[in-house]
Amino acid sequence: MKLVPPDQGMLYYIIENKRPDLAKKIKQSGVIETVVVGLGGQGTRHAELMQQYGTTITAGIAPGRGGTRLLETIPVYDTISECLKEHPNIAVASVWRHYSTAKDATIEAIEADIPMVILISEGIPLKDVRDILVAARKHKTVLIGGNTPGVIFPPEGIKAGMLPDVFYPEEVSPEEFGPKGVTIISRSGAILYHLSDALASVGIAQNAVLGVGGDGAIGSTFRDLVPLAMAYKNTDLVVMAGEIGGCQEELLADDIKKNPKKYPKPLVALISGAHAPEGKTMGHAGAIVSPGQVYGTFQSKKQALENVGVPVVNSQYDLIIEVQKRLQKKIYFDVENYYRKMKTIWDAPSKKPGWGTLITKVMPNNLLISGYPLQDLVEQKGFLETVYLLVKGEFPDKKTAEEMRKIALEGAKKSVPKVSRSKKEDISKTLVKYFVLDEELAQYPEEGTNGAVKKTVFAIGRTARYLSGILGTEKALEKLSGNEPFSHVIYRAVTGNTTVNEQYSRMIEAMIVACVDHGVTPPSAQATLIAASTRAPYEVAVAQGVGAITDVHGGAGAKAAQFFTDCIQTSKKENIDVAQATREIMRKYIEEGKRIEGLGHRLHTKDPRRDVLWNFSSQTGIAGQHVQLSKKVSTIFEQVRGMSLPINVDGVIGAIVADMGLNPAMAKAFFIYGRIAGLSAHYFEEIASQPRMRQINFSEAVYKGKGPRSIQ
Amino acid sequence: MKLYEYEAKKVFEKMGIPIPKQYGVIRSLKELDTLKLGFPLMLKSMVLVGGRGKAGGIKKANNVEETRKIAAVLFKLKIKGFPVDCILLEEAVEEIGACYVGITMDPATFNNVVIVSASGGVDIEQVAQNNPEAIMRKEIPDNSKELSKTVAHDLALSLNQSLKGKNETTKTLAEIIAKVYATYQRFDARLCEINPLIMTSKGAVAADAKLVLDDNALFRQVELLDLLGITEKRHDVAERTKNELRAQSAGFPYIDLLSQPVTKDQKKLYVGLIPGGAGYGIFSIDEVSTIGNRYFHDRVIPVNFMDSGGGPPQNRVAEMFHLLMDYPVVDLIVTSRFGGISSCDIFIRGMVQAVKERYETRKRMVPVFGRMVGTDLPSARTFLEKAKAENPEALQNVTIYVGNQRIMADVIREGIQKAFETKGWKI
Repeated sequence: MKLVPPDQGMLYYIIENKRPDLAKKIKQSGVIETVVVGLGGQGTRHAELMQQYGTTITAGIAPGRGGTRLLETIPVYDTISECLKEHPNIAVASVWRHYSTAKDATIEAIEADIPMVILISEGIPLKDVRDILVAARKHKTVLIGGNTPGVIFPPEGIKAGMLPDVFYPEEVSPEEFGPKGVTIISRSGAILYHLSDALASVGIAQNAVLGVGGDGAIGSTFRDLVPLAMAYKNTDLVVMAGEIGGCQEELLADDIKKNPKKYPKPLVALISGAHAPEGKTMGHAGAIVSPGQVYGTFQSKKQALENVGVPVVNSQYDLIIEVQKRLQKKIYFDVENYYRKMKTIWDAPSKKPGWGTLITKVMPNNLLISGYPLQDLVEQKGFLETVYLLVKGEFPDKKTAEEMRKIALEGAKKSVPKVSRSKKEDISKTLVKYFVLDEELAQYPEEGTNGAVKKTVFAIGRTARYLSGILGTEKALEKLSGNEPFSHVIYRAVTGNTTVNEQYSRMIEAMIVACVDHGVTPPSAQATLIAASTRAPYEVAVAQGVGAITDVHGGAGAKAAQFFTDCIQTSKKENIDVAQATREIMRKYIEEGKRIEGLGHRLHTKDPRRDVLWNFSSQTGIAGQHVQLSKKVSTIFEQVRGMSLPINVDGVIGAIVADMGLNPAMAKAFFIYGRIAGLSAHYFEEIASQPRMRQINFSEAVYKGKGPRSIQ
Repeated sequence: MKLYEYEAKKVFEKMGIPIPKQYGVIRSLKELDTLKLGFPLMLKSMVLVGGRGKAGGIKKANNVEETRKIAAVLFKLKIKGFPVDCILLEEAVEEIGACYVGITMDPATFNNVVIVSASGGVDIEQVAQNNPEAIMRKEIPDNSKELSKTVAHDLALSLNQSLKGKNETTKTLAEIIAKVYATYQRFDARLCEINPLIMTSKGAVAADAKLVLDDNALFRQVELLDLLGITEKRHDVAERTKNELRAQSAGFPYIDLLSQPVTKDQKKLYVGLIPGGAGYGIFSIDEVSTIGNRYFHDRVIPVNFMDSGGGPPQNRVAEMFHLLMDYPVVDLIVTSRFGGISSCDIFIRGMVQAVKERYETRKRMVPVFGRMVGTDLPSARTFLEKAKAENPEALQNVTIYVGNQRIMADVIREGIQKAFETKGWKI
């Protein structure tokens, strides 16, 4: 169904009345922006429901949680003033804070001149509510509540609060909703469903529902809201649902008497509590606070309203009769069709649970990092730019890129702690030791703007230094000039050479970039995410992920390099054709029950990283016999084994490493090096967008980031 | 939460509001011997309702024997249903005039309002109705912590003029008014009142003290509660019925509409309600009454208010049904579940749990008639259908409409009609 545009609806009308400047901006953007204040369990849950209904939630506010994200995508700020600096067009705030802190948060929203503030929090001390009211009067805020179920505008599909989505708007055609209908203004939330039911059963639409709130002192009362609703052109009639206690209904009656022009449209009052037990009385002041007046009982309300010509009803049947009478039996939609629709909504299977990541979209044969195909990054972007993209979702501008390079260089320059290492120790284990022992990294700040990406880049710089520690190439890193590209730093660390072979340097960087990330499901990412969920320090969480990169996961490159080297050497030694040698070695492996590494992938039949690395190795002139073999190995395997397994990224990297004459262990080192970037991105995303110690169901992860895009 | 007079007076004393000399509070006659008394004194029954004087709960005594005699009588007294558990003994002050000072929140503007009147005493409500101009009121729109000196002075001046007091009394009155206001604000009161404020030859004295605290603010009034030795929120409305106590311990709001114990009128149908949130809790009472009146010769009586909204857990839902089925007068239970945020499924499971359990243990069963719509409807419906197929006898008198085609008023009407037919009553 097509909704009514926001600038045609009642919410816009209310905003326009208070802040014409803001209304203009809404007209331009076509969007009414809202903010959710207070992100406890209730605020967070309802933020999701509001968003699903169609409300635009621009930001969330939670002190101490600035820089994190709500529902994985919505930025969170510590204060409203910080938020408004970034999002000046916010028009509605819903406040969900605990009653003990609701006052300050609400007053902040009011003083920031947000025109409409919906105070959901209940049980706020009355003294605090009075302070809120003083501020709201001063700033002429439309304050709804406290203890309100909120407001909902069905024609526009916008709600702020916890009202369910049952209220049904006018239908102007089978495909389009219209703005007209009855506006319900109610003191109670629970009664609203039954009013909506009653009206809908005879085809009467609700164009807005406003809950005034049930607390002892509230922002807007019937006297404020009934005239407001009537002034909106598309409201045909107002139903006010009052109840015993207080004097709002009597005051409304009094105002109707004094200012009849403010009430140009029909009004039907439903008052509940005619048969309720006697209310409590409270001292003498309660009785003498308004000398000479009686109020608060069913009779006093009924009499007051009937005296000014407002019909008062006390049952669904009478409500239907009185409203229909005043609307000349107008019908806003087909009732049978409405029932069918409601049934469809309620019968719909419940939504699959899911949580979001914005980093990498993993599909068969396709990997998108923040929307960019990974192979394009391998081809066109350097490691540091890719790191930046992973953590921030965008590429750095020139100045920032330079800043990042300097941070990485700084990381590579500083000496690392001495780490003892046994000869056969897995490189991932050694890297774990470095990560955990490195105080330079631990102390590096991660707060403030860009704190996460800076820390990651620094860690990337440190990792070059760790590698040099492992390979005994530290000397090559000692005399780095300030202008050195970071790819040269990696080259120096890997080879120990100070004269850089540009082709080799680019090839190494390309292999590293190819390994940066594969979404949240690889075991290494899971390990880091679980650590992040307990808010472990950055270097510990990344070390957990690195430690999970074993021969089983991510470590196949080293073995593949060894395999290709064996095949080529055997063919030379025995002077037989490479394919023949390969078949023999494969048979031997199979006899010994060994796996042939570098083949097969749980998802990709044509690994997106394969061709780009092959091409790169040809362009740089690196590709030799090993790469040649890697292109045929799948076919050879099928000849031996009778089943087809595609080569994977480990296999390709293994072959290239072999052609480069590097230590086979480097294939694994490159994988880990690249993946540290991805692990860092997942770490910071978890911290920013998820509650602590959540139960992480990895198969429920959903990519919610940017759609496919290409590098210009 | 209402405070007892002696508690309020402790607070007044702390805030520098003059009160009569306090001899002590006794909970038994024995405790009289431990007190050092002066005469004449006042014996005041400590109950949390108004009209104690008229009910004979406040007496003057001139010596120990008289005190003992009166105390013995008071301890046996019930004031508006409240037993007298303790008695305050305080100095009786001689009176040359009485006035009223009170602070509360205006229900129309939500501003604090200071109310003073030279016609203090028990009949102040009468004065307000018959002679409104005898009441002076001043709204304080800025919710300030303290009352401005000017406002206090102006009110005191007019009050003193009406009292025809000496010039210097204005200052005393202004101070008291300001202190009452400060007390009201500092302790998050909904009401702080002196009635009467007695004028004596030595000055003004708060002969009575009323302080009602804002329940919502109790969490931050720890020091006050410590001072008074109050450890938990006091239930101060009326003595609770058995059903109300049971509901309270199960964690849902419930009020009996009929005074207990109930003598059942055999010609009438008694309807128990499990209606949803508080608003519909009140409205459904009206609906049942109206429908009974309109279509069933006024032979239908709703028996309770209940707030069953907010997504109660399954066991609590079961307890709601148990409570009404254990309540012997109930002939029919009407229920409505709107799963907005809460789940229909949990609700229906709770209901089935209760009904099955009662059937299996041969407990009293009451027909249930109702409707459910909203969240988790498909699973709720499947569960109910399955339960009915598996336990046809246990659930034979449970009728739950699914979806909102039938509005609740129709469901209530049909339920009552069925109940009438079962009883063989004419409609």
